[in-house]
Amino acid sequence: MSQPDPPEALNELASLRAKAERLAAQLAEEHKMAELGRLLAGIVHEINSPIGSILSNNQVIIRSLEMLKSALASGDRAALEKSGRQVETCLSLAAIDKIACERISELVRGLKTFVRVDSAEMRKADLNEQIENMLKLTQCDFRGRIAVETDFGALPPVECHASMLSQVFLNILVNAGHAIDGPGKITVRTRAEGGGVHISIADTGHGIKPEDRPKILAGGFTTKAVGVGTGLGLSLSKRIVEETHGGSIDFESEVGVGTTFHIRIPVEQKKKAAG
Amino acid sequence: MSTNQKASVVIVDDEEMVITSVRAYLELETEFEIHGFTEPEQAVKHMENHLVDIAVSDYLMPRMSGIQFLTRAKQIQPEASRVLLTGHADKQSAIQAINDVGLYQYVEKPWENAQLLLIIQNGIERSKLLRELREKVSELDTAHSSLKNVQKRLLQAFL
Repeated sequence: MSQPDPPEALNELASLRAKAERLAAQLAEEHKMAELGRLLAGIVHEINSPIGSILSNNQVIIRSLEMLKSALASGDRAALEKSGRQVETCLSLAAIDKIACERISELVRGLKTFVRVDSAEMRKADLNEQIENMLKLTQCDFRGRIAVETDFGALPPVECHASMLSQVFLNILVNAGHAIDGPGKITVRTRAEGGGVHISIADTGHGIKPEDRPKILAGGFTTKAVGVGTGLGLSLSKRIVEETHGGSIDFESEVGVGTTFHIRIPVEQKKKAAG
Repeated sequence: MSTNQKASVVIVDDEEMVITSVRAYLELETEFEIHGFTEPEQAVKHMENHLVDIAVSDYLMPRMSGIQFLTRAKQIQPEASRVLLTGHADKQSAIQAINDVGLYQYVEKPWENAQLLLIIQNGIERSKLLRELREKVSELDTAHSSLKNVQKRLLQAFL
């Protein structure tokens, strides 16, 4: 044991540590927003189709009701028959509207998990659901290019900051998407394992060069073009998984074949020492 | 190819709901024949065998993009008008489409029914006029070559 520090030095150390933590949190928040911004183009596309459908269906249904109203008023047989057929169309359009609304609310739910500010305390969360939500957001971007395969095992509720972990999943999924040029596949697998859960995210992308491998989990390293990546995603992910949740993050990669990330999170957090 | 009276509209979107909505609206307002496809490949096959006046296509689709589909459509039936209906917020793709495929129109999702209808009506009119023009040109060509023949025979008769 070293000599006890004088009280003023201890105070200064504490305030510096608090400041560092505040800056780290701010950095994480900014990174999250930057990533969300890049995903928005795809999400907008995904929302515009159902909205277009709903607006169009609404117009057709109103027109059909007007036709039916005047057919009923006139009692004209041909007009009534035509309106009767139109009612069938309206019923199928109403069914489509329901599907369209569900599609939009799924995306909004995904966005909400992502932007929710974590409360100070950890809560139990279903990580399969968190991953599913992030997949909905990224699929807008992947659609037409990357097939996503999921193999979800039954997972116990995990004590965690759900939105922070969602950010990790999103970050790795987005990276996987960037690693794939042209068509490819991303496989997400979850399993309960000992006292924790194991999540693996595998892509069929170009892989990570051996000389880059030691650098990728450290901050400030990127192989992406300016405006595509900040080079902070994986170092933040590492901190969220390892420091905040006491888990582990590692990967295996083969150039030209692909990369698989493994994230392990304990189900229960060790009680941190008070003070 | 037959000169059918009803105008033929092809709609391609991997979202079934978009096809159903556009079809319901066009069937209510027009007499057009509507052919909807969720697979661009099937739309290509359709265009190889049937006369089409206008092709309306989504942009982001699995396997074949809207640009690729409309490029094929242009090769198969150059006179058919080509429209891109897209929710993609990226203007760059629109510019590329207009330059590469010779788009007739670019419509953004969510679309306005009345605007889409006007574009489709004008597109049909345009492709019918182009087709007529091509027929007239080929009639002129035949007339021109038969005239040349006559001229040749006349010359031979006199020389």
